[in-house]
Amino acid sequence: MIRKTDDIIIRTVARILVPFIQIYALYVIMHGHYSPGGGFQGGVILGASIVLLLITHGLVETKKKIPEKAIALFSSMGVFIYAGIGVLCLLLFGNFLDYGKLSVILNIPPAAARAMGILGVEIGVSITVMAVMISIFTSISTAEDHSKYDKEH
Amino acid sequence: MEVTLLIEAMDSSFRVLEDAKNQAVDIMNSAVRVTSETRTIEEKKLVNIFKGAQSRRAILQNTVATFVILFGFWTVLSGIFDLFHLTLGVICSLIISILTHDLLFANVRVGDIKLTIIRFIRYLPWLIYQIFVSNFYVAYLVLSPKMPISPQIIRFKTKLESDISWVVLANSITLTPGTITIDIKDGEFYVHALAKKVADDLNTGEMEDRVAHIFMEADHIYVQDVLDVAPIFGVLRKGI
Repeated sequence: MIRKTDDIIIRTVARILVPFIQIYALYVIMHGHYSPGGGFQGGVILGASIVLLLITHGLVETKKKIPEKAIALFSSMGVFIYAGIGVLCLLLFGNFLDYGKLSVILNIPPAAARAMGILGVEIGVSITVMAVMISIFTSISTAEDHSKYDKEH
Repeated sequence: MEVTLLIEAMDSSFRVLEDAKNQAVDIMNSAVRVTSETRTIEEKKLVNIFKGAQSRRAILQNTVATFVILFGFWTVLSGIFDLFHLTLGVICSLIISILTHDLLFANVRVGDIKLTIIRFIRYLPWLIYQIFVSNFYVAYLVLSPKMPISPQIIRFKTKLESDISWVVLANSITLTPGTITIDIKDGEFYVHALAKKVADDLNTGEMEDRVAHIFMEADHIYVQDVLDVAPIFGVLRKGI
C-alpha cells in the first residue's frame, strides 16, 4: 500500500507537474509521424505521470481519479482500437492494417488516409501501454498486501 | 344546594378554561417549532445552493485556466500551426484540463487565478535580482582567503497558509545561493544558511512578504471574499 508522502514540497510540485507531463505525452503521441516518439513512448510518459501521482498522493487518492476498473477497460480498449482499424482495412478488401483503403470511408486521398490510420493505431497503442504500465506498478506495489491476505485466509 | 351547584359550575368552567389554555399553548409551541424547522430547512437549502454554485464555479474556472495554460504549452512544443494540429491540441488540452482540473490550481481562490499569475510573473525579476546579488556575495565568501563563513540552521514560523505558497517560498530560498530549505514541518521552515549576512537577509522577511503578496495571504485583504459575501448579505436583507 502506497501512502501519501509527508514532504509537502514534493507533493505540491508533483501536483503541478502532472498536467504538463500529460500534455507532453499527448504531444509525443500526436507528433509521432513528424518527430521522434509515437504510441509506445507517449503511453509510457502518460503512465509515468499517473505513477508519479501514485507515489506522491497515495493509492487511495489516485483511485478516485482513475479507478482500477477503468485501467482494465483501457488496457483492452487500446488493443481493440488497434485491431479494429486493421480489420476495417480487411473489410475494405485490403490487407490487415492497409490504411490506404480507409480513404473510401474518410473521403480523403490515400496518402492522408495512411497518416490518419497510423495516428489511430498509435492512439490505441498508447492507451494500452498507459493502462498496462499503471497496472504493473499497482500490482507490484500492492503485492505485500496480497501476500498478507493469502496468509490470513 | 344552590351554592354547591354554583361551585361545581365554576369548577367545571375553570377546568374548561384551563384545557383551552393548555391547548392554545400546545398549538403555539408546535407553530413555533414548525416555523423554526422550515426556517432551518430553508437556510440549509440556501447554503447548499450557494456552496454548490461556488464549487461549480471553482471547477469551471480551474478547468478554463488549466486549458489555456496547457494549450499554450502545446503550441510552444508543437510549432506546427495548421488547422489539423491545432485541433488536435485543443482536443488534447481539453481532455487533460477536464481530467486534472483540481491539480494545477488546487488551493487558489476562485477568481484569483489571473491576478495570482500576473503577480507571480512580476515577482520573478525581483527573485532573479536577489539570485544575482547573493551569487556575488557567495563568490566573495569563497574567494576571500579567510573564508568568513558561519554555517547555521535557522528555523522560523511562516505566516503563509497554503501549500503552494510554502513551496514557492521554499524554492525561492533554495534558488538564492547561500541558503537551502531543508524541510517544512507544520508551517515551520528549517533553512541552512552559509553566512550570517545571508541569514539576516532571510530573517528580515522581505521574500516572505512578497510571496504572501502573490497569493494574497497573511495580512492582505481578500477582494474575492468581499465579493463572495455580498450576495449572501443581499439575500439576508431581503429575508429580514
